[in-house]
Amino acid sequence: MKQILLITDGCSNVGMNPVTAAAHAYAEGITVNVVGVLDQGDLGESGATEINEIAKAGGGLSRLVHTKELARTVQMMTRKTVMHTIQSAVHKELKHVLGDGSLEALPPDKRGEVVRVMDELGESAPLRVALLIDASASMKSKLQAVEEAIKDLMLSLQSRQGDSELCVFHFPGGRSGEDSALDLGWTRSLKDIPSLFSRLQMQGTTPTGPALMEVIDFYRKDDYGRGKNDETDGRRSGRVG
Amino acid sequence: MMKRMDEEVDGSVKLQLAAGTVLHGKWHGGRYEIERLLGEGANGQVYLVRHGSRHYALKIGADAADLQSEINVLRAIYGRTRSGSESFLVQVDDFTHASGRDYCFYMMQYIQGRILTDYLHREGSDWYALIGLNLLRQLGELHEEGWVFGDLKLENVLIASYGRVHLIDYGGVTAMGKSVRQFTELYDRGYWSAGSRRADPSYDLFSLAVLLIQAAEGAKLKGLAQERRRSVDALLALVAESMLMRPFKLWFQQALKGEFESAQEAASAWSAQHRSRSSFQRQRSSMRWLGGAFVASAIAAATAAIWYIQL
Repeated sequence: MKQILLITDGCSNVGMNPVTAAAHAYAEGITVNVVGVLDQGDLGESGATEINEIAKAGGGLSRLVHTKELARTVQMMTRKTVMHTIQSAVHKELKHVLGDGSLEALPPDKRGEVVRVMDELGESAPLRVALLIDASASMKSKLQAVEEAIKDLMLSLQSRQGDSELCVFHFPGGRSGEDSALDLGWTRSLKDIPSLFSRLQMQGTTPTGPALMEVIDFYRKDDYGRGKNDETDGRRSGRVG
Repeated sequence: MMKRMDEEVDGSVKLQLAAGTVLHGKWHGGRYEIERLLGEGANGQVYLVRHGSRHYALKIGADAADLQSEINVLRAIYGRTRSGSESFLVQVDDFTHASGRDYCFYMMQYIQGRILTDYLHREGSDWYALIGLNLLRQLGELHEEGWVFGDLKLENVLIASYGRVHLIDYGGVTAMGKSVRQFTELYDRGYWSAGSRRADPSYDLFSLAVLLIQAAEGAKLKGLAQERRRSVDALLALVAESMLMRPFKLWFQQALKGEFESAQEAASAWSAQHRSRSSFQRQRSSMRWLGGAFVASAIAAATAAIWYIQL
């Protein structure tokens, strides 16, 4: 299972439409979740709409939260998305058997066994989460909370039975104008996470779409490196784990 | 602007059932009359219902898979252990709401009680030690069956008469060794940087320690939890300051640092520390008796002296 979690506080303003980029991710078997962080005021109508649309196109969830709720939200969204991915794979299988993909169509007695299998897969299927952090100037006061949320997520991931990895990008990238930069490669343990954003130069623009495309690319290259045998795309194969 | 997580799942509005609404079971055909909302958990609402001539608690899930997985846990626990008594889980079914959507629900025994802080407020803090012990025993039984409660918190524990305890929301119950399914930050070992979120007996014991601190020093705990540098040491400092908790200082230290192997071990340590406090109090009161005896004999002596002078 592959996820991208975008944490931002405003509208994209450079390059490709992020909604299109999220749809690309979904087509590659990557679910995109979006958290909008706000401390004072709100993101404005267009910011809220964009967040919602990105998540819809990426097959994921979107939330608007205060920084103090960030860690809990990130953890819950990741968990929910794992279960949704498993459920949609299982529903697809059920469709073959029943002609109706919904769990509710099964009598309560039979439902129990299906859900037991889903729970088991949700706990044991391999999971990768790429975090994409908006590092535009307005995010400066929120980065400490973001870093805590990342560490908290790692703590939850490493408590799973299945192989769980996390990586971190921020955008825009460095001074030379890249759309994004990798802060932390695939990591399995909390103790391997250094201080992430202490030396970060905050930039003005918000190239959300191009940054999303770079993360998709990173996944693609990574999958190529890992070979096809541990492919875990539940949506296309109908098989998870 | 801010939306609660559970409202947003597939865009559905939160279910609200008025008193007097009658639900009809889709698969088993029972009739359930709603009396009032008892509470809301992370994955559903619990109503007091009348079914036949009796009252029950009925939990309605927002998500079929979530609720079913809770039902699986209840079946696994109560199917094996408490076969002699009437089953806790009474019925599982679906109903069709007026909106056309199907909801699943399960019906369980209705347990009456108070939350811990209310109980202690009304009945007195004398009950603190016994309730602590009863909770340890309950957790111990669950652990022996291979489960960890997970989301232990004020709202999920009901205290009935004579300090009897009931754990009431099974949404967080997790098989040993898996990642805890549902938790609340304040009581979460990870939130206090005191360990993982993998289900083991000491996960519940940590949450229980926080719950017992909350029962004694709720306001101070709330303050501590909001600090960025929250730590187990800060919790222990709170324990040491409190008259109610001080006798159990060592117990809190072991529970918060994950030093107990099992709930049974934690229960023995809890009783032992409670007894040593009681014997200490007995000693003090017997000292008072001795003191009283001394005063009495002094009065007797003085009276004798007066007699002597009068003679």
